[in-house]
Amino acid sequence: MATVEFTDTEFMICAAARLLEDGKTVFVGWGMPQVVTILAERLYTPHLVQVFEFGAVGPRSLTPFVRGTMGGPTNIYRSLQWTTMNWAFSYAATGYIDYGMIGALQVDPYGNINSTLLGGTYEHPARRFPGSGGGNEVASLCWKTIIVLKHEPRRFVEKLDFVTSPGYGDGNGSRERAGLPRGTGPWRVVTSKALFGFDGETKRMRLLAVLRGLRPEEILEGMGFEVKPAGSLEEMPPPGEEELRLLREEIDPSGIIIRGEKMRAVR
Amino acid sequence: MEVLLEGRAPIRFTHPDDFREWVRTHKRREPVEKLLSAREAVARYVADGDYLAYDFSSLTRGPQALVREIIRQRRRELWVCAEFTLHETALLTGAGCCDRIDVGFLGYGGYIGRAVSEGRVRVCEWTNGSLAVRMLAGARGVPFLPVRNLLATDTLLQSGAKVIRDPFTGDPVCLVPALNPDVFLCHVHQADLFGNARIFGTNLFALEAATAAKKVIVSTEEIIDPGEIRQDPARTTIPYFLVDAVVHLPFGAYPGGVPARYELDLEHIDRVNAIQDDAAMQAYLEEYIYGVPDHETFLERKVGWGRLKALIRRATVREGYH
Repeated sequence: MATVEFTDTEFMICAAARLLEDGKTVFVGWGMPQVVTILAERLYTPHLVQVFEFGAVGPRSLTPFVRGTMGGPTNIYRSLQWTTMNWAFSYAATGYIDYGMIGALQVDPYGNINSTLLGGTYEHPARRFPGSGGGNEVASLCWKTIIVLKHEPRRFVEKLDFVTSPGYGDGNGSRERAGLPRGTGPWRVVTSKALFGFDGETKRMRLLAVLRGLRPEEILEGMGFEVKPAGSLEEMPPPGEEELRLLREEIDPSGIIIRGEKMRAVR
Repeated sequence: MEVLLEGRAPIRFTHPDDFREWVRTHKRREPVEKLLSAREAVARYVADGDYLAYDFSSLTRGPQALVREIIRQRRRELWVCAEFTLHETALLTGAGCCDRIDVGFLGYGGYIGRAVSEGRVRVCEWTNGSLAVRMLAGARGVPFLPVRNLLATDTLLQSGAKVIRDPFTGDPVCLVPALNPDVFLCHVHQADLFGNARIFGTNLFALEAATAAKKVIVSTEEIIDPGEIRQDPARTTIPYFLVDAVVHLPFGAYPGGVPARYELDLEHIDRVNAIQDDAAMQAYLEEYIYGVPDHETFLERKVGWGRLKALIRRATVREGYH
């Protein structure tokens, strides 16, 4: 059987891209989500409308992707609309945005997100990070939030060092009680090894699928909270030839974004 | 009104009537030419202790040359609105210009994170969207606007927002206070000498912030004839009467880019973001800011025409930017 070699980052990008639906809208966060939606647009979702907080609506991004950029001419190329931040978030606030995709530093069992700090106090954190950006708006206002992060067990904690953006609070009904829009919340957590969802009743994270060749125990080991596997755990195929070609040759030929831990799996 | 929850951060707040009074007495309605050098504009309109906001981002159409001039003039105790920021906060903090940051996106790279951890600069937590709404409230002349986010987070608790019971729905809703910055810096594609300004492409909150700010400095790639403005009024992003100073600063966004004019200089940006400690920061500031008298000399000696030409050559995407 043929095996394929790839990085954990490449798998994460491909797995997240496979989740998006054509003919829908997605609010795209800074960094990795930008690469994910470009891949999705090229492969699966030509009619996906990508919305960016800086006011670009529905671009057909040019590649290669310019690292670090948001709002440059290549990634807002041939948009439907160029507007401003207040309008971009208005589309999310009024329910027009189906998906939100953002990264995270830490995530808890209810999909609450930390992107602000690690350790110490708010005034004197051990390590300080950029903070919400527009992530809080995305996680609050889009219908289904997809969280994308590297599979490092220490990032999955029972209690976040800081709640930057809301998941399901402390369980079912918490979002609505707090005044967040009804029927919204985290939907999937995509990591570099697996895919998680949330239980309909308890709103706790559960394991939905793992990369082919990995055992669920390997995935769950070291995570800071108990995660129950879904009844029918699925297997996620590794990145295909076309996904890897697009990533390596067109989207990130410099290899800086897609680099990561080397992995292999049966195609 | 029932306040259910409130954040603990201090806010810079201006009563809407006080802001109106400022506009009445300080903002000129008659069209006068406002062309100043960067040095004059910063000397006249940026004071120690001011609240500073800017548009767009560090990599795209940011007012980098004006920020460098503020550093060169060693302003102190600025309160900075870090919206969509990668490195301005690091440079301003490293130069000792700013002591408080309202965080939408704090910045990137090790330096600014460390400065916060060590208490060299204080932060207040907001979000990109809520800062934009605060700016809209400032521009609408109202004391606050409600939003349906920030809720259920520590971000709220470290902000200056308040959660109340909404009298219409009976649900909790978050109120964010109006923001009326002392100074708004905006780098644009084109402006006339009176301050009518055009931005091509998207912007964060250029018109909101220009309306909400007490003092507005526009730096521009290109000066155009006022007659051109009236020939295509839909293109006017900011009308002249909001603007206090116009500064002609080609390559004013360097090392960021300006769409359809020049691309960003990723190598230089990486150098800024790689700054970790204070020694490296002071060396950078000395070489690129204190060590040169102005933007023109900076471009000539520290960047060079060859490099600038290469950045122009790379800006091949033109459609839409006119």
